[in-house]
Amino acid sequence: MSTKTDKIDRLAELTAAKRTDQGHGESLWREAFKRLRRSPMAIAGTIVVGIFIVIAIVGPYIAPFDPVSQTWGDEVFPNKNTFVGPRAENWLGLDHLGRDQFSRMVIGARQSLMVGVVATLLGFAFGALLGGIAGAAAGLGKRWGRRLDTVLMRFTDMMLAIPALLLAVSVAALMGQSLATVMIAVGVAQVPIFARLLRGSMLSQAHSDYVLAAKATGIKRRRIVLAHILPNSMGPVLVQATLTLATAIIDAAALSYLGLGSPDQSTPEWGTMLADAQRFLSGAPQLAIYPAVAIIITALGFTLLGEAMRESLDPKLRK
Amino acid sequence: MRTKRSHGLRALAVLAAAGMLATACASDRDDSSADEKNENQPLIFAAPGDARSLDPFYATDGETFRVTRQMYNTLLKHEAGGSEIVGDLAKDWSQNDEGTVWTFDLHDNVTFHDDEKFNAEAVCANYDHWFNLSGDFQDSNVSYYWQTIFGGFAENESDDIPPANYVSCTAEEEFKVVIEVDKYSASLPGGFSMAAFGIMSPKVLDAQADMEVTGEPGAFEFPEYSQDPDAVAGTGPYRAVGWDKSSQEITLERFDDYWAEPAGIKTLIIKTISDENARKQALEAGDIHGYDLVAPADVEPLKSAGFEVPDRGVFNVLYMAYQQEGNEALEDLQVRQALAHAVNRQRIVDSLLPEGSEVATQFMPPTLTGWSENVTEYEYDTDKAVDLLADAGYSDLTIDFCYPTEVTRPYMPAPRDIYDIIKGDLEAAGITVEEESMPWGDYVAHTDAGGCSLYLLGWTGDFNEAYNFIGTWFGDYDRGWGFRNDEIFDAMDAVANEPDPAARETMYIELNETIMDFLPGLPISSSPPSIAFSADLNPPTTSPLTQENFAEATWK
Repeated sequence: MSTKTDKIDRLAELTAAKRTDQGHGESLWREAFKRLRRSPMAIAGTIVVGIFIVIAIVGPYIAPFDPVSQTWGDEVFPNKNTFVGPRAENWLGLDHLGRDQFSRMVIGARQSLMVGVVATLLGFAFGALLGGIAGAAAGLGKRWGRRLDTVLMRFTDMMLAIPALLLAVSVAALMGQSLATVMIAVGVAQVPIFARLLRGSMLSQAHSDYVLAAKATGIKRRRIVLAHILPNSMGPVLVQATLTLATAIIDAAALSYLGLGSPDQSTPEWGTMLADAQRFLSGAPQLAIYPAVAIIITALGFTLLGEAMRESLDPKLRK
Repeated sequence: MRTKRSHGLRALAVLAAAGMLATACASDRDDSSADEKNENQPLIFAAPGDARSLDPFYATDGETFRVTRQMYNTLLKHEAGGSEIVGDLAKDWSQNDEGTVWTFDLHDNVTFHDDEKFNAEAVCANYDHWFNLSGDFQDSNVSYYWQTIFGGFAENESDDIPPANYVSCTAEEEFKVVIEVDKYSASLPGGFSMAAFGIMSPKVLDAQADMEVTGEPGAFEFPEYSQDPDAVAGTGPYRAVGWDKSSQEITLERFDDYWAEPAGIKTLIIKTISDENARKQALEAGDIHGYDLVAPADVEPLKSAGFEVPDRGVFNVLYMAYQQEGNEALEDLQVRQALAHAVNRQRIVDSLLPEGSEVATQFMPPTLTGWSENVTEYEYDTDKAVDLLADAGYSDLTIDFCYPTEVTRPYMPAPRDIYDIIKGDLEAAGITVEEESMPWGDYVAHTDAGGCSLYLLGWTGDFNEAYNFIGTWFGDYDRGWGFRNDEIFDAMDAVANEPDPAARETMYIELNETIMDFLPGLPISSSPPSIAFSADLNPPTTSPLTQENFAEATWK
């Protein structure tokens, strides 16, 4: 647990440290973007993520068949381990109920992306709120502020103490099966990370020269927090959000795999497809391989992009 | 040999089992005599679920009966591998013309595991004990089979309990017992073979005179002695010596004074492995020597790997129930017919069920007397379903449909897949299906209470009598079905009290036709549940009623 907390704080410090040697006249963000454009990691990540997003958006239009219609139901015999592999009509073959696997994969992309994005947004929103309040209270408040900060941070520490997936599983088990549950469960698990990250980042900003200068010119505290500290603290949080997208997609798939996902079969989802395929692993391993590979590649894309962003924002790598 | 301390004995049993395992391994290595290995190697059989009690009287589930059937005998039983009723503790039996007086000639060489002598008095001690139960024992969750077969008790404490049909038990001679009932019941003589009515040593019954059920209705805990291997004593080929609830293992040991052919294998361990794949892997790894409910897809691979997967025969029905009370549309016969036409049952049989399964045309398997060739059949025809729905004014029907999760049943190997196929078929007929799933325990309670409009459920027969199938569901108003049809209820009442088997057969045939015209639900399939054994075992005769007698098993 402590290592997780330490890492988050270090990330916050790193981004804060870059302010001190700033002075080349070029904004941090513009330079970061420049470096991002030259990074092969970023390019690869962007391509993968781009393809994924495009498929998620246009999926329903390019899917050749209805993903839930058991059109070829009389051609597959799970009880005899007889399945239909890739063929001209069905590019990835049929699943155990005679549904077109390619259409299911393509349409499942949207579901997986949606779960990832909504869960991350949820975690981001609540985490940023918690972290923002704690950071502002600690950095600017008097005794009550420090107390509020302590209460909020001990609370997030408690959440951090529980492994993210376990937390998500508990939430999902408490709330019952639905797509919203998966999103909330995965999102909740991300809240403490965002909260700690933003708070740490804000605290290090609070002691920087420009804040001191702002204070000296008599700008009100609220304005200092909202207009100066908060925007300058967002860098690491955004990087974290990109990385979280990857884990959110994996966590959502894991929840579905564990049978805590959406019971609604009308829209295919990669995690559920993977869980279903498990029973036919000996007869039709391809049914598990397709969604598994898709999940891995997508998560990898987001991770690459996030890592590249983190590197480009790292002051140690600046010229 | 037997001590009063269960923990001590349990520990001893574990030690002994470990010792046996060790010696078994050692003898493998030493290549010493095969006999020695055979004598000491325990037979480990994996069941999909836990037993609940060592006194079968309280149980309704096959997992409990699988264990207690090895420990107790009943007055009658089913022939090995079949569904004919034969004598068990009774050598012979007869009935009067009205079917109200049943006379049993008992074996005279039977002893209980606690050295008590078995005789007619012992039989009566059991039957009278059951008849005189009171308090929470009268709850249908505790004494379901007694109420189903023999009605109520000496003093019924609630109006919900059926009137008693049991009148008396008389020990006419030392080994001749007469059981009298008020009216003939179609559940007899089958009822005398129910595993729930295993004969317990009268000494145990005396010792447990002040026993009680604890807990709340719906979540009862059975009396303590029923959980303690040392506290119970039957007459079966095996006696329980240990029940390790944390590792879900019940250890049974050969009863050396057994009155018939003694068990072929000294130690029998019945162990719960709830996951289908884990059971298969345990068998492949040699950790167990057999398991029940093999997934249909695993049958061929297991066979070709040298395991034995004997045929079991068909004695069950899987159905999709219509709960009419919960859904107005289902009160309309045309809607019920439309649903029946919409479902491609042949595809379920062909693609999901084991070899030897068939589409069910009525609510019983064809092996039963009373099965009708002339019931109305509802062939798969989506267009017809659409038309029927339109005629009924339910073209935009929305209906909730439930299925159980994390479970396989003998009649239902893959509930989710069966559900998915039916759902797809219903949607093809323009019906909007609202999916609902829950774990098995909740599911049974929920569907019984009428909580689902459509739901999947089934039944494995207890004995060879059609009433055990159709009477279970349609004998009277039942919330799970939610309909009142006096024609069916009256006919069911008549057949239940008709002592003449030939007359009953005609009545059953007519009833099946009436039921399938009324269509309270859609029978889907009858299928043989698969069981697997390792190659070094001469397995027990498999039974379509899933009533295997493990005493028959021997090592090769």
